[in-house]
Order: sequence, then structure tokens, then C-alpha cells
Amino acid sequence: MEKISLNETPVRTSKNFNINNIKLENIKIPEEISEFKNMTITGDTSKINIEKDTSKIHLVYGLSEEFTNQVNKKANQKLKISIDSKQNKEFQIDFKFDNENQVLLDNIEIVANESTKSTVIIKYISSNEIEAFHNGIIRVKAKQNSEINIILVNLMNTKSNNFIAIENTFEANSKINYYIIDFGGKNSITNYYSNLVGENSDNSLNTIYLGKENQVFDLNYIGELRGKKSNIDIEVQGALKDTAKKHFKGTIDFKKGCKKATGNENEACMLLSDTAKSIALPMLLCSEEEVEGNHSSSAGKIGEKELFYIMSRGFELKEAMKLMVKAKFNKILENIKNEELKNKIIDEIDLRLD
Amino acid sequence: MAKTNLDEINRNIYDIKNKDEYDFKIKKGLTPEIIEEIAKQKNDPDWMKEFRLKALEVYNKLELPTWGPDLSELDMSEIATYVRPKTKLNSSWEDVPEDIKDTFDKLGIPEAEKTSLAGVGAQYDSEVVYHSMKEDLIKQGVIYTDMETAVREYPELVKEHFMKCVPVHDHKFVALHGAVWSGGSFVYVPKGVKVDIPLQSYFRLNSPESGQFEHTLIIVDEGASLHFIEGCSAPKYNKVNLHAGCVELYVKDNAYLRYSTIENWSKNMLNLNTKKAIVGKNAKMDWVSGSFGSKISMLYPMSILNGEGAKSEYTGISFAGGGQNLDNGFKVVHNSTNTSSVVNAKSISKNGGKCTYRSLVRINENAKNSKSSVSCESLMLDDISVSDTIPVNDIRTDEVEFSHEAKIGKISDKTIFYLMSRGLSEEDAKAMIVRGFAHPIAKELPVEYAVEMNNLINLELEGAIG
Repeated sequence: MEKISLNETPVRTSKNFNINNIKLENIKIPEEISEFKNMTITGDTSKINIEKDTSKIHLVYGLSEEFTNQVNKKANQKLKISIDSKQNKEFQIDFKFDNENQVLLDNIEIVANESTKSTVIIKYISSNEIEAFHNGIIRVKAKQNSEINIILVNLMNTKSNNFIAIENTFEANSKINYYIIDFGGKNSITNYYSNLVGENSDNSLNTIYLGKENQVFDLNYIGELRGKKSNIDIEVQGALKDTAKKHFKGTIDFKKGCKKATGNENEACMLLSDTAKSIALPMLLCSEEEVEGNHSSSAGKIGEKELFYIMSRGFELKEAMKLMVKAKFNKILENIKNEELKNKIIDEIDLRLD
Repeated sequence: MAKTNLDEINRNIYDIKNKDEYDFKIKKGLTPEIIEEIAKQKNDPDWMKEFRLKALEVYNKLELPTWGPDLSELDMSEIATYVRPKTKLNSSWEDVPEDIKDTFDKLGIPEAEKTSLAGVGAQYDSEVVYHSMKEDLIKQGVIYTDMETAVREYPELVKEHFMKCVPVHDHKFVALHGAVWSGGSFVYVPKGVKVDIPLQSYFRLNSPESGQFEHTLIIVDEGASLHFIEGCSAPKYNKVNLHAGCVELYVKDNAYLRYSTIENWSKNMLNLNTKKAIVGKNAKMDWVSGSFGSKISMLYPMSILNGEGAKSEYTGISFAGGGQNLDNGFKVVHNSTNTSSVVNAKSISKNGGKCTYRSLVRINENAKNSKSSVSCESLMLDDISVSDTIPVNDIRTDEVEFSHEAKIGKISDKTIFYLMSRGLSEEDAKAMIVRGFAHPIAKELPVEYAVEMNNLINLELEGAIG
């Protein structure tokens, strides 16, 4: 099987650094796509219009042309969601992989209309024994004065492959809050692109990832600030155990004209074993004078003093580590108001760190 | 509030052009015949001639970088890689031809030698024209000479170290360097010898459509210490000149080396230089770097921390004006336990100039208990300039403390307002902020170089803000 190259960074650096893209071997890209039946929509969908057809996809970045084309041509789940609710309505889309539903190519298009408020939970979950394949594209358009929360939860098993491309566009005074819970997939490859064209538009992206065994995470997050006073905040907290590996590529790009724009990016990785690997490329690109951009990145093991303190309170080492990981993740998890979902995620953290 | 509007650097001193007079200038281009002719002209021993030819083969196989500034204007068929000035190596300035001596006089080299240096090497085009060192260092066994003399007189030391720290396969321009290198300095500081006063080599490229490929090889033996300063400049011509030097530094166990550079090449220069240090047990390598000149610069000094407890510190500033693309940064690889690195990088972009900070921090599996701290800061002085930060942080073990932070922005209006409320004019307030921004770098330089750097900044700011 030939190598596939995905998730190219917007600006290249030395190829010896092995981060410009990710090359994967032994990925079987399915040719024949059967129906995916295990999709459910629950929650309050009043003033939410859902259609089963979507517009053609033209991604600025995406994972690769081939992956985008696969969804364009063969998607077995298409959802076009138009939100008109002025109150914050929450609804959930669940995709469950099992023996009969092993391949999902989903194309989700969400339009948050003017002055609306909403929360959309999109969850991918798989049974343990299968090797599922997921290639999905989520596009969100936030119209003027709208605010939308997207909670994307990947709880697939560690044998499956998870590929996802996200693209957001912003009109003036719009806001998208993205929460990504990225736990599953032998390979979990995410391309996230926000085009902050609108004046005063705002994007907050909060990710937690948790890797074990030989999982590979490749997160390529790109925020382009074009509108005056636009803002992006990227917060990424992760933990890796066993021989798990993570590439974080975060780009904040201040384009000419985005006067008084701001961008902040913070990435922190807890290394829970001496064979886990963390590579980070937090980029700041700037072609505008009146902006403020900051990034910070850190990696290391859990503080021994903190662990010692928790263990002195009667916890075993493993429990103490779980507690520390959950404490770090809590900064992001506390924004998820759906208690059932939050508890499910916390249970998964316990399970995956066992 | 009025815009900051800075003029280009006043380069009067650096732009003095001498006549393009030489003893020998190789024809332009890059062929095995040209390499053989260079080897013949330089009386290379056979091993060096073979080395050059193999390096050319590697050069022909390697591709141009697929990242960084566009190098398509570089046409090696238009570059003469070897220009021998019309003088031999001298140990007295009196013996250096008047026009060449006059250039170095204006650059202040002989004066600095008298007042604050323990030794000086001066290269003009492809050859070193002057080399001298204080008597007491010679008595202590310190060797400071040009590379050609080192190849002849210390063949074993040179063979053991030459292009072993920076192998020719590293990248295309290192291979080019291996094929056509000429000039540069060789320093050996014996075990336990502390060289308290700096040595300095100055590299001047006068000949148009030519390249300078000096090789600097420094070995600081166990427990020894040295401060080495490198300066470089060239007058401006219409066509591109190329600088592809190579610096190899060996800092043995418990040794200390500080390598300071003030780079002020002309703005038609492509500066594709390579610098690397191998640092031994409990040894320390300090890099201090000021990058002001060049049309394009791709320069990423590198420390390889091989010994337990090895340390590295990098302090650097880049100042890019109109037409300049300075892609600079730093690389460090931690290969042993208890190693540490500190990086403090700053850049200023103005008048459409572009600064990029590009870096690598790699902490390998065997580098337990290592620490690394990186800070980079970029200042944009107008809205037609560009400033990018592209750092890679590659952490391969858990017992580390690693942190990286970067910020980008303009001069804060609040700070200007505060300083103006204390009685400063807006111009003075801005100038003070820029000097303050550069101060952490300036304070790491020897006084006279800090003065030179501040002068360069002042020249840019004088009467230009309003």
C-alpha cells in the first residue's frame, strides 16, 4: 500500500523536521461505500431546518484533494443544517460505527443565521472490535451577530482511522466556539481552518486529546484573521501515554487589513511515558502592524510535587495521574454544559488511562 | 498618531567599493574542472582536492530547499567562487596593500585590535590577507591562523574535525561550501587555557558577482574558554553576491565558547551560511547574533548537546528593512541527560522588510532531565512589513521541562503615551522603545560592538520617525 501524504501546513519549514505534512502507510481507503445507517439526531430541533442534501465542497485547505473529493463524490451521510433559533437550542448528532456501519463519509454543512444562538454536538463512537474508517467534512458559516457552539467528540476505538476537515467562515460580529474532544483513532488527523473575514468576528477553539498505545494525532489548526478587530483563541491540552505521538501544527495568520486583530495560542502536552512523543509547530504569521499575537507551547511530565501531594492523600499513582489529567482538561470541559456528555467524556478519560 | 517611518540604514562605511582588482579570479560557474582549478590555485593536498570533488557530486544531487525564501535568482553559472586578492597573507598591517588596508581601517579593525582584541584575522574576497595574535597566547599554545595554513601545518587536527560537525550532506549549500571553500580561521585552544580577550575574524567581500565561502573551525579543548567574534560586510552591487560560509565549533568537556556575530552584508547578498557546535560534558556554548544586512539570509546556528550537563544559550536579533528577507533562527538538539538550552530571539521589520524566526528544539529519548526555554519577540514598525514565527518543538521523552513563548506586535500606544507624559517627544519615545527592545541583545555584545549595533539602530531612527 502506498504512503499517503495529508494535512500540509500553510507554510513549509525544513523537511528534516518532519512536520510539514503527515505520511501514513497501510491506510486502506475504501472504494465501495455502502449506506451508513447508524445516525441519530436528538435534542431540541425546533427552528432548526435539516436537509439531506449539501452544496459542493470547495475547501481552502482540507486534508488533501483526494480526501475532499472522496466526500464530495461518495458521502454516505449528508446534512445541511440551517439554524434560526434566537435562543440557545442544543441538539446532538450521533454517528455510531459497528459491524454493519464501518465506513462513514459525512458532509455536514451548518449555517447559523443572523442573530441566532445554538449548540451542536457531533459525536463519533465505535464498538471495540471493528476497524472503522471515517472521513468527514464539517463546514460552518456564522452569519452576522450569530453565536454557535460546536462540540465535536471523537470516542472511536484505537484501531480505527479518523480523518476530519473543518472549515469555518465568519461574518461581522459572529462567534464560533469550537470544542474538540479527540480521543479515538489509530490515526486521528484533523484539519481545522477558520476564515475570520467579518469585522469583530471571534473564534475560540478548545481541544483536548488523549493518546495511548500507538495512536497518532495530527492536528493542523489554521486561523486567518482578515476582519478588523477579529480574534482567535486556540487552547490545546493533551496527554500521551505508551508510544502515542502527537503533531500539533497551529497557525495564526494576521492578514493585511486586520487592524487591531488579536490571536492567542496555547498548547500544552503532558507526557505520561518516556516513549510518548510530542511535536509542536505553533506558527505566528503577520502582515499587519496593529495586531497582537501570542503563542506558548510546553511539554513535560506531570509535576512530581503535585503527584506526591495527591498520593499522600491516599490515591494510587494511576489514580493520581488520572486526577491530574482531568484537572488539566477541566479548563476546557467545564464549558460543556451538557452534563451527560461531560460525564461520558470523563468516564472515557478514566477508561483510556487505565 | 503619526506613523513610524524609518529610513534605510546609512551604509557609507560598508559601501566603500574598491576597484575589482585581483591576483586571480576563477571563471564563473561550477564544474569539476573549476573545482580542480581552485584546488590547484590553493595548492590543496590530494585529500582536500578529492573532498572538494566529492562535495560537488553531493551538491549536484541535492535539491534547493522547498521552504523559506525564494532563491530562484541565484544562478551559480553567474558566480565566481574563488577570487584571490593581490596580496599574500601578512602579519603586519603595513604589508597589506593600501586600498585593502584602508577598507579595514575604515571598518575599525586595526584600531579594535590595538584596544580590545587578542588576535585578528581579516579576509578579503577569498583569502585571508592579515592574521595576528598576541604573543602570550602563542606561548600558551593557542593556535589562531587561516584555514589554509591549518590544513598544511596541522593536517591531523584538521582531518579529524573538518566538515565532521557539518557534513556535506546536510544541505545543498553546505555541499557547495565543501566544494569551493576558501579562507576562514582555525582556532585551537589547548586544555585549561582561558583566552580572556576576544579573537576576531572579519570577512569582507569586495568583488562583484562572486561568492565568499570561508571555513571557520574552532576547537576549544577540555576546560578551556574563548570568545570569538565574527564580522562581515560587503559593498552593494546590482547583481547578487553569495555567502555560503561554514562554521564548525567543538566545545569539549567543561569548556566554554562564546561566538558573537555582527552581520552587515550588503543588500544584494544571499547569505546562506551554516554554523554548528558540538558541545561536550558540562561545557557551554553561547551564541550572540546580530543580523542587519543581506538581501536574503537563511541562517540557523545549531548546538548539539552531546555531553551530560551541556548547555547552550542563543541570543539573537534580526533587523529587516525594505527588500530584505531575513529568515533566521536557531536549532538545538539535546542528546544527553541534564542538558539545557535557552533561546532569546528578537526581530524588527520595517519598510516592507520580512523577518522570519525559524527554529527547532529537539529533546531526544536519552536526554532525561533536560530543560529548554524559548522566547521570541517580533516588532512590526509599519503595515507593509512582514514578521513570521515558525518554531518546531520536538519532545521525545517525558522527563523534560520545555516551554516556548512568542509574541508579535507593534509599539504599544500606551507605552508611547506614558513616555510622552514624562516629557519625551513622540520620536524620542519610539526610539527609546526600539533601543530598549534590542537592549537584551546589545548587552551581550562586547562594548564596542554594542555601540556599533546601537549606532546602526540610531542611524535608522534619526530624524526618520514622525
